[in-house]
Parts: sequence; structure tokens; C-alpha cells
Amino acid sequence: MQLYLPIAEIPVNMFLIFGMGGAVGFLSGLFGIGGGFLLTPLLIFSGIPPAVSVATVTTQVVASSASAVVTYIRRKAIDLKLATVLLIGGIAGSAIGVLLFDMLQAVGQLDVVIALSYVTFLGTIGILMLVESVRAIRRRRTGAPVQTRRPGQHNWIHGLPLKVRFRRSKLYVSVIPVLGLGAGIGFLGTILGIGGGFMMVPALIYLLRVPTSIVIGTSLFQILFTMSAATIFHAMGTQTVDIVLALTLMIGGVIGAQFGARMGQNLRGDQLRLLLALLVLSVGLRFAVDLLLTPEDLYSIAITKGAGT
Amino acid sequence: MIRPFILVLVLIAAWTVPQRTQAEDLVTALSADMVSIQSNFTGTEIVIFGQVSRDLNTISRRGNYDLAIVVQGPAQDVTARRKGRFLGVWINRDYERFRDVPSFYAVASTTSIGDMADRVLLDEYEIGLNHLNLAITGSSDVPLSERDDFRRAFLRLRQEQGLYSEQRESIEFLTESMFRTSVSLPANIPVGNYTVESFLFQDGVLLSQTEAELSVAKTGFEQLTFEMAQDHSFFYGLIAVILAMFTGWLAGVIFKKD
Repeated sequence: MQLYLPIAEIPVNMFLIFGMGGAVGFLSGLFGIGGGFLLTPLLIFSGIPPAVSVATVTTQVVASSASAVVTYIRRKAIDLKLATVLLIGGIAGSAIGVLLFDMLQAVGQLDVVIALSYVTFLGTIGILMLVESVRAIRRRRTGAPVQTRRPGQHNWIHGLPLKVRFRRSKLYVSVIPVLGLGAGIGFLGTILGIGGGFMMVPALIYLLRVPTSIVIGTSLFQILFTMSAATIFHAMGTQTVDIVLALTLMIGGVIGAQFGARMGQNLRGDQLRLLLALLVLSVGLRFAVDLLLTPEDLYSIAITKGAGT
Repeated sequence: MIRPFILVLVLIAAWTVPQRTQAEDLVTALSADMVSIQSNFTGTEIVIFGQVSRDLNTISRRGNYDLAIVVQGPAQDVTARRKGRFLGVWINRDYERFRDVPSFYAVASTTSIGDMADRVLLDEYEIGLNHLNLAITGSSDVPLSERDDFRRAFLRLRQEQGLYSEQRESIEFLTESMFRTSVSLPANIPVGNYTVESFLFQDGVLLSQTEAELSVAKTGFEQLTFEMAQDHSFFYGLIAVILAMFTGWLAGVIFKKD
């Protein structure tokens, strides 16, 4: 069934979009991720304009994280104070992101920046996750003891000024890295159309040493509101949020996520992380191939003024 | 006895009196004046009917009429870019901006366009893709020798998108003076006011021309959504967020783990 998208101004196959939302939703439920980094490239590769893909996925991420945040609020597994500070940074980062997005689009370099960023971030995170999960699997096989968080262990971050106490996370840390982390991920999320959970969670664990029990809920909470802000910024700035596309994706997504989550319970954590690492790497690789191989068509056209902009 | 005599007189008069410029009249009608884009829009087709009528005192000309019908969409500025290698990565490098080019351009004709009239005339009325005026704006770093590559690439990409087309021999004469053709409007056409210009040629001379208007507009939900996104973008964004949160929350409630 063909469905005309009012903002993208093209008809799409509704079942295809629904299916994409469902498949990515399944994976996001399985791995406990937002799935933006999979969904945005899928939409781009299937012919939706990159600007519309990115902006619309920010809306879809709102839906998928809202669904999970409810659960974490019920379990009280969120550090609201930490999330709020992250969120302040996130909103600022997101606003800057939209400005840059608009600028890059005007000079015709948006696509390449999106592709390069995907290669860089997915490549790095993918390799880190791959190494970590392979080590974990080996450790489990050899029966070596698992390293846990050692209290009192400090890194350079703990030497920064403007310290604030985050009771729920049992942290006494400067707000500078917290704001910076929020801003960085808000910025990237807005430009790349991702929630950034797969970057936020390791950063909170390894850099700030937030207890793992609180990390996911806090990260989701911050993503929910940063992406809400990003949706509004995109709607106002680039005007590329397609509500029809978003709704189709999110309905597919939330349904898929339920099945994914059920299946995820039957798999080991380290195996899941290995699979996720491979998935992240392959998306990064796909972008890298596009950047490095001689394109089929060297020319492209973009409407810059008048009808249809 | 008198009748043939009058006929001869009329014929002589027609022959000697200087030809009026609009001896042939061209009338066209569209199957629809408005194309509305709704959620099930996947492109459409408009049919153009027309008639060539002659003045009573114009003698029938030898040879056939040549017709060209040009459908044009609202103007837009388009940037054509060319990728080049930069530090091993393919990125957009050179570009050329075309000003006020039609967002949609389709020409239907009875014969091949080059045979209908000379270059100057075709250029003047922009009949045929090769006769479109693709004006370049501002300064351009592209060397003169490569400008044609951009022009060709632009026309090629537009044709691939289905937005530009040239269909020779697509006008069908139903009777000696009545004709019909159809032009397909793809799903990705921009909204706005379109013009349908018809040109009547004979032996390279433009005998008559006429213009009709066609409007393409989003209607109903599509229009509402589009206008909301344009004019009340903050509320549009807010609605998107609320909708997303509600969907997420609803899913959380429905699929709540026991």
C-alpha cells in the first residue's frame, strides 16, 4: 500500500516502512538500544532524503525510549538529578546540532558529514564493543573472575571543579563532564538521527562510574527528553520532521521491541554485546564503502530555492 | 452559374490579402484544472484536448500541422554538484547553480522537436529539453569547458526523477483538427501553479499558441500537515513529540510484563 508522505513529498510503501520500524524495534528490544543508528541509515538507503530521515528518527526515538522509561520509573532506576544535568547539556548540544545541520545542508555537505560521522562513531564503538565482548566471553569460558567497580578508584575527571553530589548514583563529581557528555551526545544525536544510548551508557559507566543498575534508566530518560527537544528544533529549523513517516515507524518499532525484549532474555549478555558490536560495525562499514568507492553517479542535484524546498 | 465565380473571388481575396497572424486558432482544454495530492497520491495523468480551427476565409494549407505542448511547473533554483576525491573520500566539490528552472517540464509533440522550427524560435519559447534556458547564477568555479557537463547532468537527473520528459509523436489527432495527448505527473511533483502551453507550427512557422493553467496542491490531511509544519513549526514539533510519547507509553501499558 502506497502512502504519500506530506513532508518528504514522496510516496512510500507503508508496509515496507512498518516492517523496517518493526525489524529495528526488534533489535532495539533485543539489545536494549534505541536503534536510531540502524533506522536512520535504513531510511537513507531506501531513498528517503537524509534530512527527513534524520529528523524523523529523532521522533521515533522519543517513542521507543518513552516506552522503556515508564518501566524504569516504576523500578525507580533513574538518577533524576544526574539525568537533568545531562539533559541541560543535551538540549544545548541539540540546538547547536540543528544549526550546523541547516548550514551543512545549505552548502551540500550534509550527506558526507553524516556518512563520515557514522563511520567514525560506529567504527570506534563497534571495535570497542567487539573487543570487550570477546574478552568477556573468553573470561566466562576460562572462569576468570569478573572485574567489578572498585570504590575509591579515580581518574582525571574526578579532579575537575564545580563538584555536585548525585546521591542516587553515589557520585560526587564535577558538573563539567556531565554537561559536556550530555551536550556531545545531544549534538551527535541531532545530526545523525540517533538517541546515542550506545555511547551514553559506556561513557556513564567508564568515565563517570555511575552504577550499572541506574545507568540505563538514566540514559534513557536523558535520551527521551533530548530527542524531544531535537524533534522540536528540527521541526522549527529544518522543517523536515515527517509526522506520517514517524508514526508508521514508531508503531512498527514499539511492537517489534516487545518481541525483541522477550527473545533477549534467552541470550547471554556477552553474546548479545558481540552481536550488537558486529551489527554496529557493519553499518559503519557500509557507510565507509560508500565514501571510498567511486560513486556510480558523480553528479547530484538539490533544490535550493522556490517550489519544493 | 454565379457560385463558382464567388468561390474564385474568395480564393483570390484570400491569396492576395496579407495573411492575418491568427488565421489558425488553437483551443485547448485539460481533463482537470487541479491535481490534488492526498495520502494515496502516487502520481496522475492529465489529458489535454485541443482543436485547431481555421478562419472561414483562410484557405486550407498544404501539409500537416505540427504541435508541441509544454507542461511546466513552478520555477525553482537548483544546485547541481559533482563529487570529487578529497583525502581519499568522495565528497561534493564543484557545483553550479541554475536559476529559475522549471520544477517540472514535459513536452509532447507530433514530431521530433528539432524538425518543427528553427533553433531560435524553439529557444525563444523554450520548447524541448535542449532549448530550456538554464541560466547560471552567481560566480562559478567551474571552467567553461565543463559547464556543459553540469547542464547535461542536470537534465539527465531530472529525467531520471521523472520530472523532465520529452515525448515525441505523443500527440494524437482524433480528427483532422482535433487532437489529444496525455502527460503523466509523477508522485514527486512539487505543488504550485503549472502552465500548459500549446504551440501550433507549420513549415517552421509558429501559427498560433495558447496557454492553460493547472494547479497542483495538497489537500485534506496532507495540506493540513504541510501547512502546520511550515507556519506553526513549534506546535507541529510539539505534536510530534506528544504523539511519540503517547505511542511509547501506550505500548508500555499494553505490553506490560505480567
